[in-house]
Amino acid sequence: MRLWNVISGVAWRTLKNALTNPQIVIPTMAFPLFFFTAFAGGLSQIRHVPGFGFPLGYTAFQFVFVLLQSAAFSGVFTGFGLARDFEGGFAKRLLLAAPHRSGIVIGYALAALIRWMVVAVFLTVLALAVGMQVGGGAVDLVGLYVLALLVNFCGFFWAGGIAMRFRTIQAAPLMQMPVFLILFFAPVYVPLELLEGWIEAVATVNPVTYLLETGRGFLAGDPPHALGAFLLAIGLGVAFWTWAFLGLRKAEAAGA
Amino acid sequence: MSAAGNGIEVEQLVREYKKGPRAVNGIDLQVAPGEIYGFLGPNGAGKSTTVHVLTTLLPPTSGTARVGGHDVVKEGPKVRSLIGVALQEAALDPLLTGRDHLRLQATLQGVPKERRKVHADELLERVGLADAGDRKVQGYSGGMKRRLDLALALVHLPRILFLDEPTTGLDPQSRTAMWEEVARLRREESVTVFLTTQYLEEADVLADRVGIIDEGKIVAEGTPAALKAEIGRPSVHAIPEHEEDREKIAGFLAQFGEPLATTRDVAVRLRAGLGLTDIVRAVDANGVRIADLELRAPTLDDVFLAKTGRTLEGAQEEAEAEQEERRA
Repeated sequence: MRLWNVISGVAWRTLKNALTNPQIVIPTMAFPLFFFTAFAGGLSQIRHVPGFGFPLGYTAFQFVFVLLQSAAFSGVFTGFGLARDFEGGFAKRLLLAAPHRSGIVIGYALAALIRWMVVAVFLTVLALAVGMQVGGGAVDLVGLYVLALLVNFCGFFWAGGIAMRFRTIQAAPLMQMPVFLILFFAPVYVPLELLEGWIEAVATVNPVTYLLETGRGFLAGDPPHALGAFLLAIGLGVAFWTWAFLGLRKAEAAGA
Repeated sequence: MSAAGNGIEVEQLVREYKKGPRAVNGIDLQVAPGEIYGFLGPNGAGKSTTVHVLTTLLPPTSGTARVGGHDVVKEGPKVRSLIGVALQEAALDPLLTGRDHLRLQATLQGVPKERRKVHADELLERVGLADAGDRKVQGYSGGMKRRLDLALALVHLPRILFLDEPTTGLDPQSRTAMWEEVARLRREESVTVFLTTQYLEEADVLADRVGIIDEGKIVAEGTPAALKAEIGRPSVHAIPEHEEDREKIAGFLAQFGEPLATTRDVAVRLRAGLGLTDIVRAVDANGVRIADLELRAPTLDDVFLAKTGRTLEGAQEEAEAEQEERRA
């Protein structure tokens, strides 16, 4: 019960700030919606490129990428908040008040998840409103959103681990840049088969490629490597969870 | 004395910072349940580091500390559930209201849901923030932030309260209000209070016992009265009417006791058996004019001076100069 108190308290406070302050909520919402309208609208003619082959069209093709991207960045932005709390001293209050400090990290992770879910609802409604086709059934769609949820956890635990090691918002580029790169070195605009040269080589070994292809497969009703993608996402989640909790130990040892 | 109740026991506590000084250098102390313990020292003496260790915010390098009967290293969660803490810099979220802070703190501390609102209202009233409770903290003054910080430390009715320089930067009125609240907590709720301060008057007024720390070591400990009694003799301070008489006054005052290092006046610690009348007679006999003559009972600053060879104010200036040097 005390652990849940810490988790719910931290999540409530993080969400209250994230969802009621325009300076935080507007970029959180606008960023993925802008990406979606810019990519899906501006690049829609890519569907006519020979070999494109995604059956649901370009809007659905881009939707999955933006959904996963928003999941990852909701996690990273929540990590920014954690870094700000260390820098400003508020983390000391949390460390002093929480009997179980692991609840602090889990509380932020829960906030990151809810924050992303709000964005995901808006994004999904927008995509359906502009005529996105959906080929998969209910199970496929659950698969897609659960996959995105795991990406959200990975994004937060990665950024949270950095935040607790550096304990300053100046570490924000270090949280954001690797996520940005790994997402954009995946087949974002066209399928993997249409990529060539070094980007194809990088995309082939990039784990996000498998998550993205599986996500698109879920939306189309034919996920290519569902089990592998989930194992990969869970494995990354466990690795970044460990990374984040080791970061918490470092912050504790440093006296926050 | 035991820490099994609401007390604090510290043995040979050391905290070293990486590439830094030994901030706490083997201190021993005991605080009895229900006692107000004043931890007095200049900036950089090790007061805040000690509080950070005792409140489980910082692990010690060596030594042991038990708070409320629990080891701060091995039983951190138990210690945290017993204590309330107001740190030197109030750690508040500018985007939350005072009431939001109380709600968050109550949730973290596991205060039952049905009691949270009533308790928040009571605490806001008690610290004089009832009207400001629904305003964001970014609009609070320094004094209001301090008062909110104290209210937050009290949310879960802690048995032991750590206050790290709670009145630094407060105006005299807010300072007095804070003292009254701390005294009330001890008197009415038997809360043990560990209070760090650099204000002699604060330690003198509030504390049952005082520990004086300098350069990471406790140099004196006892009740304020006993510490001052150790020094024993009063001092006489004379301000010459004409500056050119200063040396002459210092010369004849030296017959009455050992000179004290002061800047504004000429002062001596009186030898036993002497009083102000002896000095007045000597002034008269020497034919000098004195603008002001004062007999002072020993203060905690005299204790600090006797134990460290510096006044607390002087030590403060030294610490600040050192910090400046490091920054440069």
